[in-house]
Amino acid sequence: MNQLSRRELLRLSGISLASGLVLAACGKQAGVVDDGAIARLGESPSTTALAEAEVTDEVLLRTAASLEYNAIDTYTAALGLGVFTGDLAAATNVAKRFRDDHQEHADAVNSLIRAIGGKEHRCANVRINDLYISPALALITDDKNENVGVDVVALAHALENLAAQTYQGVVELISDPKLRADAIRIGQQESRHAALLAQVLNPGVASMGPTNDPTTGKPNIAAIPAAFGSQANIQLTVGAPKADGSRTTLLLETPSLNSLVYDSVSC
Amino acid sequence: MLSEDDISLLAAAQALELSARDIYASAVSRKSRSEEEQGLLELMHSHHTAYEQTLNGVLSKRAATERNADAYTKFFALLSDSSKLWTTLLELENTAIATHTAIIARLTSAKHAALLASITTIEARHAAMLASLTSTNLDLALENTAQSLVTQ
Repeated sequence: MNQLSRRELLRLSGISLASGLVLAACGKQAGVVDDGAIARLGESPSTTALAEAEVTDEVLLRTAASLEYNAIDTYTAALGLGVFTGDLAAATNVAKRFRDDHQEHADAVNSLIRAIGGKEHRCANVRINDLYISPALALITDDKNENVGVDVVALAHALENLAAQTYQGVVELISDPKLRADAIRIGQQESRHAALLAQVLNPGVASMGPTNDPTTGKPNIAAIPAAFGSQANIQLTVGAPKADGSRTTLLLETPSLNSLVYDSVSC
Repeated sequence: MLSEDDISLLAAAQALELSARDIYASAVSRKSRSEEEQGLLELMHSHHTAYEQTLNGVLSKRAATERNADAYTKFFALLSDSSKLWTTLLELENTAIATHTAIIARLTSAKHAALLASITTIEARHAAMLASLTSTNLDLALENTAQSLVTQ
């Protein structure tokens, strides 16, 4: 017959007591009325399930259309600031042309959406706006910022890269080969926009390819930054210098599952 | 596993990149430009070499072994007029973009369509920069009127 030592007996009784408390906390007890007066662990308010959201060709194209409206709105805001003066005077016509291009892209993408029986989307991507564009514009238009014009161009450059990357990224996700080609045709023009804006920010033939800042070692903005189109996040540094002399850097990423424009999303 | 049709299409893309590589190699070897422009030509040559090598790796034993002769002959002849260097290379880039895009429209493999897509977004940047070296006309930098070398 096994004999328990006093120490083992105390340990076992402790475990039994703890187990009983856990079980009692987890379950309702017979005959006990729950009046809600005592907060308890393990219960949460009822939730409404989200609608089923499938990533289809239509959703991917609606998302691309939404980014076109982000770009249209941003160029409109940039032109409204009236900051393209002096060395940036020529940027006014460029911004107008690029805005018109994005309107054409939006119309073209919506035409593709209609052709596959989908619902067109004619407004900006709210999440992209909230995450990147509004914070960037707030930094750019801060009274302490002395480089508003250049920063606006930097924002436009980042958005063109974002759009180009988005179109490139959806090629692998779209099921219809013809739609893939239609999408990347637009992505190619976004890339051309980005390259031209890169030359505004870092001009000259020597700056067309990749270069690094000799002081910081960080890569400079380049019209042709690599051999293959990137899918990495996009760094956007804007705004007035902070106390330590650095400026705020935002990291832009192409739309993912929580920023796609599903069928249930409307303007 | 690539289908026979996809292999043929990717081989056509590779053959065109072989032509582009050799056209750029010819432009680089002439050493008729400034140091900065020479650097740009070398950069674009290195990109087309990378595209050809990547497609060669994808196709392995089925890779193209010869460049697209028609494209090479046409663009090499245009290069004989050194004043047209940038416009010739611009047309070459736009032709590559149009051709690769037509191939994307026919490829069944989404993965390989994405590879060509990533090539065309950089070739579009090449084209925009080459256009900016010859003109301030935005249409020249932004529009692609070149014809594809494969049928859509």
